[in-house]
Amino acid sequence: MDLTLTEDQIAILDAVESLAKPYASAPVHDAGFALVSEELDRELAEGGFLDVAFDADLGTASAALVVERLAHLPYAIEAAMSALVRPLFGADLPRPFCLVEAGRSTRPLRFLKAGATVIVVGPDNVSSFIATAEQVRAEETLFGYPMGSLLVDPVSAATTKHDVSPEDVKTRWRVALAAEAAGLLAAALDSVATYVTDRQQFGRPLATFQALRHRLAEAQVRANGVYWLAINAAATLDAGEAALAALHAQESARATVYDFHQFLGAMGMTLEHPLHLWTYRLKALASELGGRGGQALAAADAVWGI
Amino acid sequence: MNFEWTKEEAAFRQRLRDFLAATLPEDWERFSQHGPASPALTDYARSFCGKLAEEGLLTPHWPKEIGGGGLDPWHQTILAEEMWIAGEPRGGQYMNVNWIGPTLIRYGSPEQQARYLPPIAEGRALWCQGFSEPGAGSDLASLRTRAVLEGDAYHVTGQKIWTSYAGLADTCFLVCRTSDDRKKGISILLVPMDTPGITVRQIPSLIGEGDIHEVFFDDVVVPATARLGEEGEAWSIIAYSLTNERLGIPRYALAEAALDRAVAILKEQGDFSGEAIRIEAAHALALCRASRMASYAIVSRRCRGEAIGPESASARFATVMAERRVAEFIVEYLPEALADAHPYLKMHHQRGIVAGIAAGAAEIQLNIIATDVLKLPREPR
Repeated sequence: MDLTLTEDQIAILDAVESLAKPYASAPVHDAGFALVSEELDRELAEGGFLDVAFDADLGTASAALVVERLAHLPYAIEAAMSALVRPLFGADLPRPFCLVEAGRSTRPLRFLKAGATVIVVGPDNVSSFIATAEQVRAEETLFGYPMGSLLVDPVSAATTKHDVSPEDVKTRWRVALAAEAAGLLAAALDSVATYVTDRQQFGRPLATFQALRHRLAEAQVRANGVYWLAINAAATLDAGEAALAALHAQESARATVYDFHQFLGAMGMTLEHPLHLWTYRLKALASELGGRGGQALAAADAVWGI
Repeated sequence: MNFEWTKEEAAFRQRLRDFLAATLPEDWERFSQHGPASPALTDYARSFCGKLAEEGLLTPHWPKEIGGGGLDPWHQTILAEEMWIAGEPRGGQYMNVNWIGPTLIRYGSPEQQARYLPPIAEGRALWCQGFSEPGAGSDLASLRTRAVLEGDAYHVTGQKIWTSYAGLADTCFLVCRTSDDRKKGISILLVPMDTPGITVRQIPSLIGEGDIHEVFFDDVVVPATARLGEEGEAWSIIAYSLTNERLGIPRYALAEAALDRAVAILKEQGDFSGEAIRIEAAHALALCRASRMASYAIVSRRCRGEAIGPESASARFATVMAERRVAEFIVEYLPEALADAHPYLKMHHQRGIVAGIAAGAAEIQLNIIATDVLKLPREPR
């Protein structure tokens, strides 16, 4: 057992850091609910940062580290699915990479647009199609991602069958969700910590009031737990570990998001502070794969049997 | 990064399990309901720790030059996990090997080391830690037990409270005031518990017989040679001790073992098929695993020779969350465990309430996280 980053991982994260630097702050007035950058997306893809897990020596743990780091940015980037799920299918399928469960296709999908790969995860098989303009509709949502809805039944539309097990896809989906949530939780927490340190009320920083300090500290405990569960699940690709990581991520999002906005007071209900760029992404992740109940049941099945 | 145990680490864990299986008595699970500080378990621990010592398993993480095995903090962690899962058959002696011994190795005089280390390493010693006082719990620096140097001896007067193991301990690691300076006026004395003037009174507790006590010091005469380190050095000595102990007991390991046991019983009874119960169990397990991983991140740091850092407070709090959720699950779905039906689960429940209270209250851990991890400005005092 050794949880120390390898030299390769440190080098990759340093490179991600350099690339991400110009995108570290958000032009919030123009942003709306989601902030996107095609330029950043292109730079990441061209730099090979989303292909890390294709290299067996680097593996999925390194990919999860990249996903976690990118989620700290205020920009919504289609990194998690591409970096962690796409390796099951090969590098030829175009991005963005969108996953949908058969039977849950009425919900808006993150990053769905014409040209996206839609992976349809059924109970017994996995198939895909490349979405056309006629098959998708862009949605104005309250979530912190660009989203679209499918105008077709994905099970009928997905004519390409894949020799991949639905359980393997779901395991990686859960790892991707947890890794992204870990970064979002940490970034949201950082953002709130900065605000309550600067904001003075009653003659002193808000951060000096224990009512806030302890709840923020508990949020740190949660964010740290999600981080380590996500990286562990990415390294082991164990179904139970992945379900527990995703469960802890969704539960921690539930436990912290409203607190984070609460601590910003009135600023917490504006679009002038970037907090929503992280928390409203967490809200989108909260419903995936059946939400907390879905992850919990999957974890119980994997760990204790049916 | 490697999230798998090495073959050697796995073999070490298996060796411990084999030893426990071969050594613990048949009725151990019922027997271990006696608190770790009870006369019965303290007595048993002397023979158990003696056998551990013979196998080189009592102090495998101590330096080789003083008779330890020189193994790294992962082995210390595996040892602590296996012992705690088993109900801690070392009783109060776990404290000796975890931090009292290492602190004496670092700060003790040659005479103190010669006197105290061999009994610890042979499994014959029992210590108590004289820290908390009626007016100084989480605010330890407010302590008032006073040691006045007269000639070549200290005269100690004052009171300690909630002191684990004091009823049967041989020696007290006593934190006391030698001057009025809030932190620099605190010193440590190593005090034999049979010294005249010491009175111990047991406090009835939720965690088993004989566990916590009041200890009264009435003009107790202690030779100056019993002082550990310099006068006023207690705060830095305690800080060093905490680098060995701040992670505390690996309660996540027993919590997960208790959860597994409860689930096995519920499955056997046909009571583990509903969605609600399975969801609750999974939530509890997620907290156990999160706590384990947060602790392992700190162990990794120790292996690299780094300071454990304030993040250890985060790992500690994660353990409290796990311990509570597992206990709540068992109370809700297997209440007979708190009667006499399942001694192992009863033992877990009895000891679990300590998690957020002993060895630094959970609220203190949250303060540390707020100030030193999140870098928030301090509260006004």
